[in-house]
Amino acid sequence: MAGLDATVAVPTPPARGPRFAWVVFLIVPIIVFLAVFFLIPYANMVYMSFLVKPAEGAYLKQFTLENYGRTLGDPFYWRILRNTFWYSLLTTAITLVLGYPLAYHIARAPKRWRGWLLVLLISPLLVSVIVRSFGWMILLGRVGLINQLVKSYGGPELHLMYNAFGIIVGLVHVYLPFMALSIAGALQTISPDIERAARSLGASPWRAFWRVTWRLSLPGVFAGTLLVFVLAVSSYVIPILLGANNVLVMPMVIVQMLLDAFNWPLGSALAMVLFGFTVLLLWLYVKIMNRAMRWTAR
Amino acid sequence: MASITLRDLTKRFESLVAVDRLNLEIQEGELITLLGPSGCGKTTTLRMIGGFETPNEGDIYFGERPVTWLQPELRNIGIVFQNYALFPHMTVWENIAFGLEMRREAPAKLRQRVAAILAKVQLTGMERRYSHQLSGGQQQRVALARALVVNPAVLLLDEPLANLDAKLREEMRFYIRHLQREFGITTIYVTHDQAEAMVLADRIALMKDGRLQQLGSAEDIYRRPSNAWVAEFIGLSNLIRGTVAGRSDGQLSVRTTAGVFACAGEGATGDVVICVRPESLHFGQQHPNRIHGIVHERVFLGNLLDYQIDGPDGLRLRVQADPSRVFAPGTPVDVSFSSADAWVMRASGS
Amino acid sequence: MTRRRDRGWVLGVTVTILYLFLLAPIVIVILSAFNAGEYLRFPPQGFSLRWFVRFTESPSFVRAFEFSLRLAVYVTLASTVLGTMGALFIVRHARRVRDALRLLLLAPLQFPAILTGIALLIFFYATGIGTRGMRPLFIGHTLVTIPYVFLTVSTVLVGFDRSLEEAARSLGAGPFRTFWRVTLPIIKGGIISGALFAFITSFDQFPISLLLISVGNTTLPIALFDYLRFSFEPTAAAVSTLSVLLSVGIVLLIQRLVGLESIYWGGPR
Repeated sequence: MAGLDATVAVPTPPARGPRFAWVVFLIVPIIVFLAVFFLIPYANMVYMSFLVKPAEGAYLKQFTLENYGRTLGDPFYWRILRNTFWYSLLTTAITLVLGYPLAYHIARAPKRWRGWLLVLLISPLLVSVIVRSFGWMILLGRVGLINQLVKSYGGPELHLMYNAFGIIVGLVHVYLPFMALSIAGALQTISPDIERAARSLGASPWRAFWRVTWRLSLPGVFAGTLLVFVLAVSSYVIPILLGANNVLVMPMVIVQMLLDAFNWPLGSALAMVLFGFTVLLLWLYVKIMNRAMRWTAR
Repeated sequence: MASITLRDLTKRFESLVAVDRLNLEIQEGELITLLGPSGCGKTTTLRMIGGFETPNEGDIYFGERPVTWLQPELRNIGIVFQNYALFPHMTVWENIAFGLEMRREAPAKLRQRVAAILAKVQLTGMERRYSHQLSGGQQQRVALARALVVNPAVLLLDEPLANLDAKLREEMRFYIRHLQREFGITTIYVTHDQAEAMVLADRIALMKDGRLQQLGSAEDIYRRPSNAWVAEFIGLSNLIRGTVAGRSDGQLSVRTTAGVFACAGEGATGDVVICVRPESLHFGQQHPNRIHGIVHERVFLGNLLDYQIDGPDGLRLRVQADPSRVFAPGTPVDVSFSSADAWVMRASGS
Repeated sequence: MTRRRDRGWVLGVTVTILYLFLLAPIVIVILSAFNAGEYLRFPPQGFSLRWFVRFTESPSFVRAFEFSLRLAVYVTLASTVLGTMGALFIVRHARRVRDALRLLLLAPLQFPAILTGIALLIFFYATGIGTRGMRPLFIGHTLVTIPYVFLTVSTVLVGFDRSLEEAARSLGAGPFRTFWRVTLPIIKGGIISGALFAFITSFDQFPISLLLISVGNTTLPIALFDYLRFSFEPTAAAVSTLSVLLSVGIVLLIQRLVGLESIYWGGPR
């Protein structure tokens, strides 16, 4: 075994060790930016919800629980909260039913097509929500295209807009791609061989789907429903354009409170209440879904 | 050209010791292979020599120059990766010229050197191609050319042939050896393929669990393995445990459950392991060391027959013999081996 | 065998209807923009560009368009630089704090934009920054566009072959030269698509703009929104169409860029 030749005089190495990681400066600007303009404002909003609303001006630096008292004690706000969650729930359910076929189709599409199908699915997302709502207004309005068609055949005037129906249609339309993309992501990880294996063992296509594919795609379903629900709860443009003031949802009320009534403490409290209940519902949902997805390595 | 010295080189990843106080001296102009199973630390060692990992302890010298903490771009090395790492957005020419550009070579000289190396690797005419337009073997040669054109002090190769098919691999082995001899660059070649190591290397450094098991020529390691693990890693071997019973005129007498054998070996005492290579076990009783057994299995390998023989006390022997005589499974046979072919090693692990 | 073919047919039809559903409102808006008639009637009453002309004659719309464009450019620059830097650090150097940092950088996407807008409004007033001019909008938009750049650049970086950089270093290139000559050209697809996402997100951004605009300044979506609440003229359709063309153009650009990039690197320059 070769060893070191002791007679070779090797100069002592310079005392240079690991160098300073200048790379840290890559992340510093962004952390500062997010801390100052994201974390602090949110913390500030929580703080604001405990302040007093004076007769003149937006807020006073006095501590009070009155804002929460007003929000949680008023049946008016409870009703709006309930409506908001109900519409979101409905939207989530409908996008799930409609989004699954879309996802399945894309996941199983041949490679050449998949890129273009994705473009088709994603491009509505890159068109402003205002434009899309506008399109629905043209379609659903009293003198809109659908009614023109119906009336030309002698049908009655349909009330498709400025009500809950219009809002749900708009919400589903905007959030459908999100649901489809979520589920498609999960479906892509499921090899078609698994379905074939189930079929070879005697399962009909429907049973193979339910017992195998559906269950395996649950993580995608879970992520998609979570995402759509949160987005739907906080949606502002669609309820206001397609529902006007006939239907009230929480975000509308909050914005009104801030910009029109100039009552920032109450507006912040309302926002906190909405956020808080959303988190609560999500937490319950996560618990239920985790039980259903016991088999996934989490 | 420089010699390379590794002194007490150690590298830890969390709780794993990847390289454990490695001491190695590589001569100028030598091609040494770091050979071992995956996880033995050979690639980590190579990366430390290249400057892509910093050691926790120990030093690295190129000649007399300490380079332990030096950035890779200042070490004057050439490296060829397993996946070639050709710049996908540059042509063959631009890839090869890159190192010379970094050294601010004059344009006329640069052109001359790149053209020369392209001719040397037989890729003249491919200058404008991109890597995805080349075959695996061609990419390999571009990677070599790129590393060699800058005249590095040290050449590092990390399993460069692993992605080629068997036939190409064999061709390229000789090609790399030929290039290395011509340029005379001190070279470190990492591989897990022992055949490759044996073809290429002046010396082989066999590693396991971050430690050097044996350093020597291919023949050294094959004929005189330093321990049982080395004996099993290189080639096929028959290992027989026993105890040294005595010594007489340069031979050791070892008692085993299969008999007492006269063996060659250094001054070993106590519990030992005898290593006999399958081609050194002969059918018949010509040699002093004899074992009687029954043929368990026979496999036809073309130029050889490969036998498994059941010997006494559960001993399973592997014998490789020429096809002139054939023994069917179940036949009782005698095998014998000379004392020169019976190499004794100490029984304790590494 | 017939049963499987039947099922395929049903899926195909369902999916086609769904895609039509997704695209219908957008198509309707575009068609209305070219409608010659006053109201949005079907069947269309002839082809005309008068609503586009009306748009160019409307100073408020034109100003809003130009304002949104300028804002989007600034925002894109800022978020591309910040997002790329963040992605570089997090993918390559973070290790222990990686998950926490990812969470932080993606947080603006997880929180409803309307809430972020509210929080920013209150914050800007409290700190005296106010909502005058482009600055508050710039900050708000950058906040919600950084995650997109971060995501696209991270994706490209994760698949990036580090041995390319090591090869460059071995050939004598220092860290900066290596980044400039090797890393950047290869990841530029991710950076550009992130930038395009950022641009379009800023241009179409609504909730944050709603809360942070001040008197005298308005973005195109807000202008459109105000217009739509009280009138129903096809001028809005023309404005929307221009917006859609911009979006579609960008989507195609991204597809082309990323598509090309992933097929073969570099190519003839």
